[in-house]
Amino acid sequence: MNKKILLMLITTVLLACNFLFPQSRKSAPTESTAQSSDSESLVSAGFTIVRLHPKDGDLETMLAEEAQKAAALGQLPVVEFDATWCPPCQAIDAAIKSENELMLHAYKGTYVIKLDVDEWGWKNSKIHDFHFDAIPVYFKLDSEGHQTGDVIDGGAWGEDIPENIAPVMDKFFHGV
Amino acid sequence: MKSPNLLSILSWIILLSTTLASCTSAPTTPIQLASFTENDVSVSIALEHPSAENYLLSATFTPPDGYHLYSKNIPVHGIDGIGRPTLLELTSESQMKALGNLAENVPAERFYFEHNEFQVYPLGAVTLSLPVDLPPGHRWVNDELKITFMACSSNLCKAPVEGKIVSIRVPGAEMVDNR
Repeated sequence: MNKKILLMLITTVLLACNFLFPQSRKSAPTESTAQSSDSESLVSAGFTIVRLHPKDGDLETMLAEEAQKAAALGQLPVVEFDATWCPPCQAIDAAIKSENELMLHAYKGTYVIKLDVDEWGWKNSKIHDFHFDAIPVYFKLDSEGHQTGDVIDGGAWGEDIPENIAPVMDKFFHGV
Repeated sequence: MKSPNLLSILSWIILLSTTLASCTSAPTTPIQLASFTENDVSVSIALEHPSAENYLLSATFTPPDGYHLYSKNIPVHGIDGIGRPTLLELTSESQMKALGNLAENVPAERFYFEHNEFQVYPLGAVTLSLPVDLPPGHRWVNDELKITFMACSSNLCKAPVEGKIVSIRVPGAEMVDNR
């Protein structure tokens, strides 16, 4: 009888512990909703990916906020314009999601702010002075969320494979 | 004496040939209906009359250098959302009637992306043709058609153009027959 009570007590304590102190789980990047953005973070890989939506506010304000978050993490803020219908954009996402080592290395220390062109448009007031005519395209930001003038697009590499993309992105992000 | 005869025969041959050629219903030159450039892809729409009773509505899509277009046969919203087909379609308001299927002048090539099979045209221009029946009459008629395309290179994509309505004026069937 005492054993049964002890067993029940241990089970209850274990369940309570699990409830009170949930274990952090390491997993492949998944979209989760943050306050003003969807965040996909690869903390273990040392970079952050967030997605901003027009419904959440003015882009200029949001970029300033995200740049501050990037600075707090010691990461380089970069804006990426992409789309669900764009194979090169999806190839990059797939390489990151599959945790390709070359891509993880290239993206290390970056804070990538994704903007879907279907939501934000191409040439309108919502995206202010971001000018481009093809995607994917990346714009480096300063610590206040303004463009630094450093831009790169998919035309900088050949076929969309990590072996081609990673060295170019590494050089763009880190100047190496 | 021989020279004048030869000259006369030659003249008659030329005259007869010219007369016969003018009587034969030779293919007429295409009638240019519309052209525009959007997202760096040039589109030229024409009406061809390759033989009697046969009209072809055609659209030539010319992407920028190094870019390709997707096959007319991929789904309208892409494969798992990726890619967009190249299409020339009549709308429900169109005065013309489609008499057959859309044809391409170059076969699409297959490639695999994210476990899906895609079909894209080789780099460069592609022409799609649709056999149509023209509206009856001797006058030009206001009409419209629908254009869809998306151009990508191996590492960049231009914005897709989906279901763009293009206003055109097409000749009545009798008008073309009498040309």
